[in-house]
Amino acid sequence: MNDEPKTETLRQECERILSESKAVAYAVAVHDYETGLRLSINSDRRFHAASTMKVAILLAIGKAIDDGRIQPNDTLHVRNRFRSAIDRTPFRIDAESDGYPQLHKMIGRTARISDLTEWMIVSSSNLATNLLLDYITVEEAQRVLREAGVCGIELRRGVDDTKAHEQNFNNETTAEGLVQLFATLRGDFLSKASREMAINILLQQRFNSMIPAPLPAHASVAHKTGEISTACHDAGIVYLPEREPYILVVLTEVAPEKNGRRETIAKISGIVFQTLTGMEVKA
Amino acid sequence: MKAIDGLSLSPAHRAALRPGEAVTDENGNLHHLPRFFFEVPSWEEAHALRVASHFTLSELITVDSREAQLLLRTFPHYVPCAILALARYLEDFRREVDAPVFISANGGYRSPAHRINKGTPFHCWGTAADIYRVGDTYLSDEKSINRYAEIAASLGAEVRVRTYQSGDDHLQVDLGYLNIVPRECSES
Repeated sequence: MNDEPKTETLRQECERILSESKAVAYAVAVHDYETGLRLSINSDRRFHAASTMKVAILLAIGKAIDDGRIQPNDTLHVRNRFRSAIDRTPFRIDAESDGYPQLHKMIGRTARISDLTEWMIVSSSNLATNLLLDYITVEEAQRVLREAGVCGIELRRGVDDTKAHEQNFNNETTAEGLVQLFATLRGDFLSKASREMAINILLQQRFNSMIPAPLPAHASVAHKTGEISTACHDAGIVYLPEREPYILVVLTEVAPEKNGRRETIAKISGIVFQTLTGMEVKA
Repeated sequence: MKAIDGLSLSPAHRAALRPGEAVTDENGNLHHLPRFFFEVPSWEEAHALRVASHFTLSELITVDSREAQLLLRTFPHYVPCAILALARYLEDFRREVDAPVFISANGGYRSPAHRINKGTPFHCWGTAADIYRVGDTYLSDEKSINRYAEIAASLGAEVRVRTYQSGDDHLQVDLGYLNIVPRECSES
């Protein structure tokens, strides 16, 4: 089947929505396993990865489990002291703005790697993220990305490293890189057990106001959002019982405090869903 | 607790615990790692065993996945006999501050194979403790750490308290390179 007209229509619709949003920059990438349709809009442009980088850590943990280097029930010391990637000066994660403040009550004790992994993704806990990345190491996570053939994601440091951010030393991603990452999670790079672990955690995502928002109730989305003052992203796999899934990545760079940025991504999700499935989105 | 000569342990345990091995500290002084250990049959027993009125053994030996896999995953565990001196000191400290005292994970005994070690810290003798909380106070800033450091240092000439360093999230105390030889054990 020739999907070119459909792809072109989708491209125009996405560009219309995003240009009306006044996003400073944007990228969209779609990979539909049902029809083979692929859409790329600025998909090689680099963005601050924000919390989407946590999916790369999820992949590295799955790989470490498969390689027998860690077990899900292994524990890590919960401490809130990290070192800047710039000069090794210490910094802490603010408990009040962390996605899983309960973890801060566990400081001094240990937490299971499986729980930390879940809190990193489902609640987007920055403390859990940095604890896991300190253990896995940036170098190992980056090595796993390379081994998986994922290009376009540069993992350089943990989160909330203000000094690194000030010096523009950030984790970066492209839309295409995230498509490849989610395709890797869905494929056979990980064992069946680790793949199911990773996808199940992503399916439990708490922040559902973007890609999942316009989708019908029978859709499920294994995804990860990423939001900082100047970026708003969502990326994931959309599962529908009647067809093969599709991967959707929407990255936006926005002016700080700009309203409506999540709604823009929800609109993109809606139009992608309608175009691929022919079904109506939620009212 | 049953006392064990570390030299009688399996080769794998000896490789991790390095009983009696000579090591050099940062000042070039020679010390011997602990040779004699108490055997800890299970985690349940470590939880149940009081080494001082207000401290169980488990509080002084909790480690995370950075510990050597053999020592982390299998029992029995082995803990240097000097851990009892540390427990006694912590009990004195608790009495002085009149509040529960919390030792962090990796902050009591850890083996020479533990991956967070830089060199061979006092933790490998079972004579150091990282206190991260006293009562409801988390020791996460200079003020709270210094407040309790003064009390900790006042409890004996053998006690050393590390001075606050930027970013510290605990108070570190140690009793030095203390080795204890149980009466029933021979040093031959």
